[in-house]
Amino acid sequence: MTTAVPPYEGALPYDGSPLAPALVAARTKSLVLRFIWTSTAFLAIAGTLGLILRLNQGNVIAIDDNLWYAMMTAHGLGAFVAWAGFFLMGISFWVLLKCGFPLRTFVFAEATFWTMVIGTLGIVVTTLLAGFGGSWVFLYPIAFNSAGQWGDATTGVFSASVLFAGLSILAYCVAVLHTVISPAQQAEKDTFGQRLGLAFGFGFLSPSRFRTRRGKTPYPVLPLSVNALDMFLATLPFALLLVFQIIQSIDNDFSIDDVVAGNLLWAFGHPVVYLLLFPAAATYYYLIPRYAKRELVAGRAVAVAWLIALFMNVLVWAHHLYLQYPQDSTAQQTLNTIMQPTTYALVLPSALSLFSIAATIYRSDFEWNVASKFLVVGILSWLVAGLQGIVNATAYWQETIHNTMWIAGHLHNMAFLNMGMLIFGAMYAFLPELTGRRMYSERLGNIHLWGTVIGGYGWVTFQMIQGLMGAPRRWANWDLLDDSLITLTHVTLGFLVILVLAQLVFAYNLYKTLRSSPFEQAREVPAS
Amino acid sequence: MVILYMIFVVLGVAIFAFVFVSTRRGRAEGGQGAPVEKLERFEPIWGLFVVLLLGVLLAFTIWRAPWFQDQDGDQQVSIEGIQFGFLVQPTSVTTGTPVTFTVRSRDVNHSVGLYDPDEKLILNIEALPGNFQKRTYTFTKPGTYAIRCLEFCGYQHHKMVYPTFQVTES
Ligand SMILES: [Cu+2]
Ligand SMILES: [Cu+2]
Repeated sequence: MTTAVPPYEGALPYDGSPLAPALVAARTKSLVLRFIWTSTAFLAIAGTLGLILRLNQGNVIAIDDNLWYAMMTAHGLGAFVAWAGFFLMGISFWVLLKCGFPLRTFVFAEATFWTMVIGTLGIVVTTLLAGFGGSWVFLYPIAFNSAGQWGDATTGVFSASVLFAGLSILAYCVAVLHTVISPAQQAEKDTFGQRLGLAFGFGFLSPSRFRTRRGKTPYPVLPLSVNALDMFLATLPFALLLVFQIIQSIDNDFSIDDVVAGNLLWAFGHPVVYLLLFPAAATYYYLIPRYAKRELVAGRAVAVAWLIALFMNVLVWAHHLYLQYPQDSTAQQTLNTIMQPTTYALVLPSALSLFSIAATIYRSDFEWNVASKFLVVGILSWLVAGLQGIVNATAYWQETIHNTMWIAGHLHNMAFLNMGMLIFGAMYAFLPELTGRRMYSERLGNIHLWGTVIGGYGWVTFQMIQGLMGAPRRWANWDLLDDSLITLTHVTLGFLVILVLAQLVFAYNLYKTLRSSPFEQAREVPAS
Repeated sequence: MVILYMIFVVLGVAIFAFVFVSTRRGRAEGGQGAPVEKLERFEPIWGLFVVLLLGVLLAFTIWRAPWFQDQDGDQQVSIEGIQFGFLVQPTSVTTGTPVTFTVRSRDVNHSVGLYDPDEKLILNIEALPGNFQKRTYTFTKPGTYAIRCLEFCGYQHHKMVYPTFQVTES
């Protein structure tokens, strides 16, 4: 199966690195592979947990109430951060290198990897073994009001573990910024300001003031720069909240205001979605033109959109607090009112990206293979789940869907069927060059694709229907509610079986691929 | 809401389907047939169109946000959330005149999810530990309503229900 893609057309040989390019490529390869295999292992764990949660909701099995909520906590953090986030952080180093932006040092990338591994292990232990079941958002002060299910020490260790995952994100942001704000921009006047401006798309907005020797800045750089700067800023308030929780777990007299805590949480909790979406966008920007065999159809507007994203991404968190409007101060209400339009503004980067991708594919000699088909499904999900996002961003509509299964369906539609499909697509696209081995079977790849699409869409669609029927989210079971919810859960379980079988086919395909003998690689990285 | 959403989904997917099918023609033309410059010129127009659409949606919805619906009504109901139950006072109201719910919590975040006799979720009022919220609503449908907790509050969250809130004909 030939899904290896040529390097970015705009990439010129880069010689400003203190490390020899060939060596950098080899080390980046093994680093990225480590991200890929580790995050995929986390997917296996988090996915299994998700299945158990659903089996319990369908009354197929019966597990202890608190264990269910502990599993739910682990599933959320595991699938979102330790699988999708972790994978996309890793793969973006490869995309950057392919665009002519190799890592200038491995220190931050290695720190990203190891802090995430430590954090994830800590989360697994504190939830599954010590019973922390506060959900991944652990709305303050629930971590300290467990109704006797776990102790403050567990809360402390759990918070520290999540803090490690936060440190991983911070290290990643530094790694990306250090890579893009660099001589690799090939600015004519190589100053810090020029490098910075180019990284954030000013080469498109003011080509005369930001001149480079390479021509256009590769488009994938824009979402990666924006994400890195925003996530750096957004992780700090969250880290503060975690530090507060660690202090309180030691000193019981210490406490913070719950509304303030909610804002600290969501100042991170919103942008973290884009820790997945923006690197995913970068990967689409990189891969789609390879398969369409022409450059990305985009102009200035997309650069404007990413600049808007840079500012708005960190100014929208209150849309998670639409239903919190304490009466003793109008501050939160004002914030909520402002943050509906700022959230709408974030539709622009998505709308323009989808436009660019569609325009690039339009009447091109598009190469349809397993990798590109996964990407195309991901793009369609970006559209569908993005439209759900507009519904959710509208405060007026929130009351009838907030904390129902509609939201659970939406987030799986976005995270699994957009970012997840991109992740699988990227694996099919990049693994041949990363491992030096051709994918064992295109046919098994297609089975994986269709099983995932049918199983995935069947599952999220019925989850969303349950939500519209009023089914509450984060309920261990619906025994007190209408039986039709259980019936629909059984329907989703049928689709989940298809989904799981497809992943087993994928695992077998990967196993056979890795057992095969490597091929000779002609050209793997930008000419060195 | 759902219909509007479905219309846009169908439209969007149809456009993409058209784009995907066009690659057949693209293959025949060797990928040279696409009017790339025309498409690039269309980019800002598309951007403005999206802005306009969202502007309209904003104008229609923002003033209906739940936090603006807190004017004092003639009937008052106080609800307090506590791990894992609700204290409701009084437990019955009438249709036709506005009811103001005042909601608070004694411990962690809860939420008052109010379901009508047809199991439709109509209100969702957050219960905050350090504060209170007000939400005013005028009932039109008499019957037995259920209150269910919709904000995760601990290991018995799914058992936190108050099944018999009465709305009678005025
Ligand atoms: Cu958000
Ligand atoms: Cu609850």
